[in-house]
Amino acid sequence: MMITLKVKVGQLSLAALFLVSGLSAPAAGLLALEDEDKEEQPEWLAVTGGDVFTGTGSYLRGATVLAKDGKIDSIGYDLFIPEEAERLDAGGMRVYPGLVAISSSGLLGGSGDLADTIDPFSSRMVLGLAAGITTTSQSNQVAKLKRGELEGAVLSEKAFSGLTWSGAGGKRALKEKFETTATYLRAYREWEELVKKDKELKEPSKRGVDSTVLAVLEGRILAKFSANGRDDLLGIARLAQKYGFRPVIEGCGEGWAVADELGRAGAMAIVTPRYRRSKEESLVRDGGSSIENAAILHLAGVSVAVIPSSKSVNLGGIAGRDIMHLIIEAGFAVRGGLPEKSAIDAITIQPARMLGVGHRVGSLEVGKDCDLIVTDGDLLHYETFVQYAVVDGKLVYDKQEELWFSHIRPRPEAPAPEESPVDAGERPEDIEDDGEAGDDDESGDEDEEDGDEGDEDEEGDD
Amino acid sequence: MIIRHSLTILLAAALGGAVLAADPGATGGGGLALRASKVLIAAYDGPAVLNHGIVLVKDGLIEAVGPARSTPVPAGYVLVGLGKRWLAPGMIDLHSHVGGTWDINDMVFLTNPGLRANTAVRPGNSNLDRAVAGGVTTILFIPGSGSNMGGQGVLLRTGEETYGGAELRAPGSLKVAQAGNPEGYIFGVGRSFMNWNLRNTFKRGIAYAKRWEQAEATAVKQPDRNPQWEIFRHLRKNEAQVSTHTQVYQVVLATITIIAQELEMPVYIDHGTFDGYRAAELAEQANVPAILGPRSIDAPAGYWFRMWSGSQVERVQGVAAGYQERGHRMVGFNTDAPVVPQEELSLQAAVGVRYGFDNSEMDALRGVTSVPAKAAGIDQRAGSIEVGKEANLLILNGDPIDPRTGVEAVYSRGRKVYDTALDRRRW
Repeated sequence: MMITLKVKVGQLSLAALFLVSGLSAPAAGLLALEDEDKEEQPEWLAVTGGDVFTGTGSYLRGATVLAKDGKIDSIGYDLFIPEEAERLDAGGMRVYPGLVAISSSGLLGGSGDLADTIDPFSSRMVLGLAAGITTTSQSNQVAKLKRGELEGAVLSEKAFSGLTWSGAGGKRALKEKFETTATYLRAYREWEELVKKDKELKEPSKRGVDSTVLAVLEGRILAKFSANGRDDLLGIARLAQKYGFRPVIEGCGEGWAVADELGRAGAMAIVTPRYRRSKEESLVRDGGSSIENAAILHLAGVSVAVIPSSKSVNLGGIAGRDIMHLIIEAGFAVRGGLPEKSAIDAITIQPARMLGVGHRVGSLEVGKDCDLIVTDGDLLHYETFVQYAVVDGKLVYDKQEELWFSHIRPRPEAPAPEESPVDAGERPEDIEDDGEAGDDDESGDEDEEDGDEGDEDEEGDD
Repeated sequence: MIIRHSLTILLAAALGGAVLAADPGATGGGGLALRASKVLIAAYDGPAVLNHGIVLVKDGLIEAVGPARSTPVPAGYVLVGLGKRWLAPGMIDLHSHVGGTWDINDMVFLTNPGLRANTAVRPGNSNLDRAVAGGVTTILFIPGSGSNMGGQGVLLRTGEETYGGAELRAPGSLKVAQAGNPEGYIFGVGRSFMNWNLRNTFKRGIAYAKRWEQAEATAVKQPDRNPQWEIFRHLRKNEAQVSTHTQVYQVVLATITIIAQELEMPVYIDHGTFDGYRAAELAEQANVPAILGPRSIDAPAGYWFRMWSGSQVERVQGVAAGYQERGHRMVGFNTDAPVVPQEELSLQAAVGVRYGFDNSEMDALRGVTSVPAKAAGIDQRAGSIEVGKEANLLILNGDPIDPRTGVEAVYSRGRKVYDTALDRRRW
């Protein structure tokens, strides 16, 4: 049964013939073997020859990233690339981890519950990939820009617990929640120990305990605040230090003025380097926005993620400030003194970690998802374009294959692969195999390609 | 004794000089020599860059520019070695509304050639402080686009403390808004009416200017002065230009055919966006510079924008690239600050390059220096590092249009007005 399920359209009648006529076992066995191999065959992608910026401190010139079934299998030189691997020539180009936009809207084509609403054919998803973004967070969920596919797109259904630090009453109420919950947590941990000796001991009451705050204090989820003013930032930092949790602070506009406190609190900041806030001119003390914000926070030990002021794609004409220009925004952090490497981290691994998906995306490491971009130059240079984007080991964006940017500095055609002449000693099957590996580039095997597609169709039909 | 006495005098003179005299390079000060690894000359018709160069500055002006090894530094000049840093001309933005207070859009009539923006100037305001830190040393502060003629703009130096110091030229321009805003003046105003009204005002203004020209040429009694029409005398002499809020192909076309060709006014496009680039060939022929922004791209967008723009397909067209591809040479960039913040003028050029503007001849930097200088008729005074021009200079740690590049220090007429070594980086 396996045979008829898996063979190609062209071979179906032949296989049926085998079955009906009960042809010689070896012939049928050979066919079966080939097909079983096919079923178990992993999907390989080799991105070859690019200068690979792994995000872990390595910069490998002319290296290869090899992905197996969507995960990074190996990175390096002289790798064994299986013959059937799909190849992407990144020679003369650079390879970076796919960018992580810590907050965006519209890139996934959906809203609300992403699992039900992602539109994998959305034009905004193409523009997001063109901007190098392969993972993003929207409505507090985390998803990948898996073009044409929904499977496995949503990485997390809840990224943060949003907490509010504002107004005298609100601040007092939040402090009380933390105090009550921390008291409960201490009592509970004590009880956990004591109950081992005294089984009758009553579990401490959960009265007044805030489940969100509890999750934060137990380290199950990160608390996210939205604050820009120096006083608020200081308040959050002190709250975090007192109760021992690491706050994520979106905005953090005057963070540079209280950077040491934020660093001590282990804060993580989501900043827009070009954010504007005027200084209170009557005060001598530091205040207002500063282009140096990201750099100063970084120096104080605060993890920094960068995001532009406009979170959606803007095609109205004003370019350079929306989510399509994430690299430009990171460039402004460099202008303020953030090292280039940290600026790239701020749009890759740092936001990935904040979103709780740092083990999957944000850097190129063996075992992590193969989400990468191939660029025609230094990632943070204003002229650089994403040439290819790969998500889960699949090519999902090719600049020259889309209308959006293909006319701008078109990528030179890659030299045609050398044709391998047919060796007189090869058997017809071998030649066929070569054809499969070569795939799209070889115009001669249209039948072969049709056959490949038929393969999947066949599965569906049954 | 005599010797000692003269020494004392010398010492006193030197001390007095140090206390009283202006900075070296500034007006009234000694000479200044700046040596940099790259001097971005940005000449409109001339070299773009000089490696390992020296720039001599005296009395606020550029006195000499040459290779470091063959340009002698005169005795008494203060030599500043800039190491790896680059030297570039200060940038010029011909579309700005942040030179002062916001009351610059007074729509008294549908055409107001007599209104002047220079009465609203606030030198040293916080937007101008940031402008300096972003390398923008000159702006054209212009009225808004609520009426067809908003009034007269003024060319300002950004790094100065007084109006007298800030004024580079008044009037700087006559602000015309051909379409796409003045419609809101009163219900029923459309393009046909606006163009008729503009033409009508221009003709009356030109007639006034001609009466004066005739009187001056023939020494007959001078006509009465009318502040409503005075600007047209400046325009006729190319001492001011028409800075035109114009965008979309058909409106840009009207700018060229009506203002440049029919009325023979010195004029430049001061938006030129959406699909305005489709008129680029004609603009080039008619010698109408294109100062583009704040929009940089023309892309399929929402319904409202689609009515404006010609592009329909999934394609992002760079506006500056559109002009350049059609052979337009005088392509510059603006911010329309605060639409794009004043300090981000260089980014406007960078984005232009990103979306296809060819920068292999460093035309992006020219687009924020020598091109706007030429368009505004101040190319004898600003816009490049050439002898005789005002020493409005930037010290940079790299490519001036790269967002990552920091402006380290700024000179305005030879006087240092910003220095990150002394002051916190403002941008």
